[in-house]
Amino acid sequence: MTRSPGPGSGGMLGALGRSAGPAALILASLADGAKHGYALTKDIESFAGVRLAPGTLYEALSRLEAQGLIEALPSEDRRRPYRLTATGAAALRSHLEAQRQVADVGLRRLAGNWGTA
Amino acid sequence: MTGAAQASRRARRLLRWYPRAWRARYGEEFTELLLADFAERPRCWSRAADVARGGLLARLATAGLAGYQADPAEAERAALAALACSLAVFLTVGAAMWAQLTIGWQWAPPGSRATTVAMTVMSAAMLAFAALALAAFLPLAWCALRDGRQRLAPLLSRPAAVAAGSALVLVVGGRHFGNGWPGTGGHWWPHQGLVPGGVAAFAWACTSWVSSYWAHPAALMAFPATEVGWMVVSPAAALCLATGIAGVVRRVRCPARVRRWQAWLGVAAAACMTVFLSAAACWVTGGGAGPRGLFHTGVIDGVGLAVLTGALAAGCRALQQVHRAGLAGRETG
Repeated sequence: MTRSPGPGSGGMLGALGRSAGPAALILASLADGAKHGYALTKDIESFAGVRLAPGTLYEALSRLEAQGLIEALPSEDRRRPYRLTATGAAALRSHLEAQRQVADVGLRRLAGNWGTA
Repeated sequence: MTGAAQASRRARRLLRWYPRAWRARYGEEFTELLLADFAERPRCWSRAADVARGGLLARLATAGLAGYQADPAEAERAALAALACSLAVFLTVGAAMWAQLTIGWQWAPPGSRATTVAMTVMSAAMLAFAALALAAFLPLAWCALRDGRQRLAPLLSRPAAVAAGSALVLVVGGRHFGNGWPGTGGHWWPHQGLVPGGVAAFAWACTSWVSSYWAHPAALMAFPATEVGWMVVSPAAALCLATGIAGVVRRVRCPARVRRWQAWLGVAAAACMTVFLSAAACWVTGGGAGPRGLFHTGVIDGVGLAVLTGALAAGCRALQQVHRAGLAGRETG
């Protein structure tokens, strides 16, 4: 089996490997403003139905920070908020557009062969 | 003890999974998140497992075996240091295996063709390792001396002193005990065999602690006390040598072209490790029972093969990280 670069495999999020899923959720959560760890967990739970455990959350946060996709703001009451950088916004946009392309193709093919629900 | 104090203690205990540098950067905010999580889900085993996994990954990243460090040059140095450690483990166990065969050949040529071929290939690989070590050491020593004269002297002096001191212990002890070993006598050019007797005796003496005698205390106690003492001191010296070299590799600020050279040498070393491992596997699996002498394989040789395989896998992983960090460094300029 050969592996070709599909629409969702490339880009800066693709380089995060297993953390790409949590990373995309974190970037999407930060798209509407800075948040600290606990606020990120609750926000992601509310819009994605997934609760990121603390270790997973901080593994992804430290990778995103090392890649320059997010940046830390000064600490507030022992909690440090993070915000999206311009590079992070571009990476998220590219990732979501690739996801939308896959979703559009899948939905079109489903509608053609299986009809609408 | 109050509930808040207990929760704080639990959080501190979980935080210990992470390396010190990570705790200094993220510790406070991570503790706050853990405390909030404890309040919502007081009993959650998956959280402890998740934190442990995250902590181990962060430790692997610090050791240069997984990559998400902000500074590509730092990540490259860490990965090169991890590669040096993998090589040290491989060479220690490999030299123990090779020295056993080498000394066996001085007593009698091997009866099995597989052992003869394995021995010849392993000796060639050892020679290649020595050449690669010299090629890696010279530019590193030059950079260390240059850095030592500048601002990094306090940072470099300790690992360099540890490496030099432990190397001295190994050389002096190896020569002393190698010369006294029965059957070798430290003869430089024996009448039969593939490798100079002094080299074989030295390699054996330096790695004599890689031995199944540890599982047979009664037999071990029949050895002279000084030799048993050396079997305790020599692994500590080998560990200090590897730690010192890794510390120097990690701290020396080498120019990018020297780091690229080291990475290339790392690839060559991985190729040598693969060749050596194949030959060792050929001897262990295909050498036949042979006489009950030094060519006879035992459980310890099987364990040795497993350690060599693990060290090769860790070295390849470190090389991947070196390559990735090098690419990231060139992208960021």
